[in-house]
Amino acid sequence: MTKKITKADLDAVPADRAPREYIKVGMSSCGVAAGADEVFGILASEAEKRKLPVLVKPCGCSGACHAEPLVEVCVQGLPSVTYGRVTPEVAMRILEEHVRDKRLVQDYIVDVPVRR
Amino acid sequence: MTTHVMLIKDTDFSAVDRTRDMHDLFVKQVRDAGLADSVQVVRAADVGIYNRGIVVKMLPSGTVYAGVSESDIETIVETTVKKGVVVDRLVHRGENEQVRIVMRHCGVVDPESIDEYIGAQGYQGIKRVLFEYSQDTGIEEMKTSGLRGRGGAGYPTWLKWSLAKSAFADQKYVICNGDEGDPGAYMDRSVLEGDPHCVLEGMMIAGYCIGATKGFLYIRAEYPLAIKRIQLALDQAYAAGLLGKNILGTPFSFDLEVRLGAGAFVCGEETALIASIEGRRGTPRPRPPYPSDVGLWKKPTIINNVETFANVSYIFYKGAKEFSKIGTEKSKGTKVFALTGKIRNSGLVEIPMGTPLRVIIEDIGGGVASGKKILAVQTGGPSGGVIPEQHFDTPVSYEHLLELGSFMGSGGMIVMDEDDCLVDIAKFYLGFCVDESCGKCAPCRIGGYQMLKILEKITDAKGTEDDLATLKRIAQAMQKASLCALGQGAPNPIISTMKYFAEEYRQHIVDRKCRAGKCTKLMRFEIVDAKCKRCKLCVINCPVHCISGDKDNGYLIDQETCIKCGRCFEVCKFEAVARRY
Repeated sequence: MTKKITKADLDAVPADRAPREYIKVGMSSCGVAAGADEVFGILASEAEKRKLPVLVKPCGCSGACHAEPLVEVCVQGLPSVTYGRVTPEVAMRILEEHVRDKRLVQDYIVDVPVRR
Repeated sequence: MTTHVMLIKDTDFSAVDRTRDMHDLFVKQVRDAGLADSVQVVRAADVGIYNRGIVVKMLPSGTVYAGVSESDIETIVETTVKKGVVVDRLVHRGENEQVRIVMRHCGVVDPESIDEYIGAQGYQGIKRVLFEYSQDTGIEEMKTSGLRGRGGAGYPTWLKWSLAKSAFADQKYVICNGDEGDPGAYMDRSVLEGDPHCVLEGMMIAGYCIGATKGFLYIRAEYPLAIKRIQLALDQAYAAGLLGKNILGTPFSFDLEVRLGAGAFVCGEETALIASIEGRRGTPRPRPPYPSDVGLWKKPTIINNVETFANVSYIFYKGAKEFSKIGTEKSKGTKVFALTGKIRNSGLVEIPMGTPLRVIIEDIGGGVASGKKILAVQTGGPSGGVIPEQHFDTPVSYEHLLELGSFMGSGGMIVMDEDDCLVDIAKFYLGFCVDESCGKCAPCRIGGYQMLKILEKITDAKGTEDDLATLKRIAQAMQKASLCALGQGAPNPIISTMKYFAEEYRQHIVDRKCRAGKCTKLMRFEIVDAKCKRCKLCVINCPVHCISGDKDNGYLIDQETCIKCGRCFEVCKFEAVARRY
């Protein structure tokens, strides 16, 4: 049984969370249809195998369904960027070039101007 | 220290992509300036800007330069990269920026984790409501926000709530309408899949404000992933004590349950939806009484769309004043559209109300994928209308779309180019409504069928000019006399195409021509003997064996047996098969 949430718990949620290192994979229907399951599997298993300090997690669709699977990468020292049309090969390049070597992967970044 | 990144992209759709050349020049400039260690130059696949030449986006600052030429490279590196000063004359000032309210957590949080939702300021809205608002001030806050129903009709949400609140009953209900059935629309699915908790939170707030203790999420069974995630979110919320008895230690209790719709389009209509939840056949009933008086099991009930509830949780987290700053005077907030059809970037766009259609289609959607001329956009699904290109500067809002003979609908937006035949499109939408008509009222059941028969007659090259008048007459009868919005809205695609594309109807009826070549009865395939190399590919590929002849005398298509499938046209390598219309 998980802990019951109280008002104090909600009050204690910080307004701005410090960004952690993560890789997010869009796993809504549109992403899954484009192959996000496989990409997620590769990213998660390889990141663990190589002991990379990033958390690989699923998220919903950010809207750019034409460019699925979308993978957002946020690692220390680099601005967060989103890659589109990620294939298993590109996923491996993201881990090796972006996460390990801190060099962004050429030709796959998809930027959608959004105000939150 | 964060490394600076420069994204480079050639946004023109010309034959030569200059992205790589410009990238190399920037790399050289950065290296010469001795900044190679702190700046990365990256070729992007897409920067969300179109037809603005070379675009350079600086990260993390977010400065965007457009129309950059080779001579600007040195200036940008020396001024912006080195000194951090913006070069004003190159800055891109487009309106291509989207706003995220409904989809604020989509693509941000893990939809299967309640902790992530809470960490992203989730359930702050219900907390504020429970501790800072009464039922009346809550509804007052909704009134300030100006939120109108996102299901299509745009009825003020606060008014619906206020009616249900003042109704006297021992039990009231909240229903979330997730029966999204318009062709080409999937915003609700995306919100349910990407951010299920925010919909639950919106429903809880609604429950508190009207005094309901029970709610239902009506989701169509065709959305298995959405159902799975909503059910998971419900389980997590119950485990965390955010649903059930005495939420957050207050006297407020609220239960939620999922109900699956079996896929009848008419069940998106509120009275039919209620019947379906009650276990009866999904048919609408005349209103009034409205569900806010006599709803589910004859109790006062409010029914709102998924997107409306997603807005509600935002309004109570950020405040109604903040929300009402976005949008136009009568249409507040944002609207999510599912942009599909012949568009370069199909997907979901969330824009502030009042954004012109042209911005959505050309600046955000990137224009027509084929590069052909854009003809029109269809909004509002089968009850909406077709808006021609000359009206694309109209701002998107409930009122403006109605003026154009379309309506907001749930938010499907289908872009059509020159290859689409508007009569064919009208026939498709009407066919959808005829299929989905529940058959309870005569205007919809009979009128829809008769209109479809007439449209089929027109596309079968048997139309007469009297048909147009008959179509108009039946359309009026359906609009006035149908029981629910399905029948009332079904003629809209025909009325709007007849209004804006009268010439196209005339061509079909008088000239017996279909400009786009979609209406197969109005066109034929012919073999151009002069171009034919006698390869016989067409003969081999014809599925109905209607091409006869031999190598010496050439080949001929028998028009009587031809089914106009276009296979011969596709396989011919010498353009010897001509399409005539």
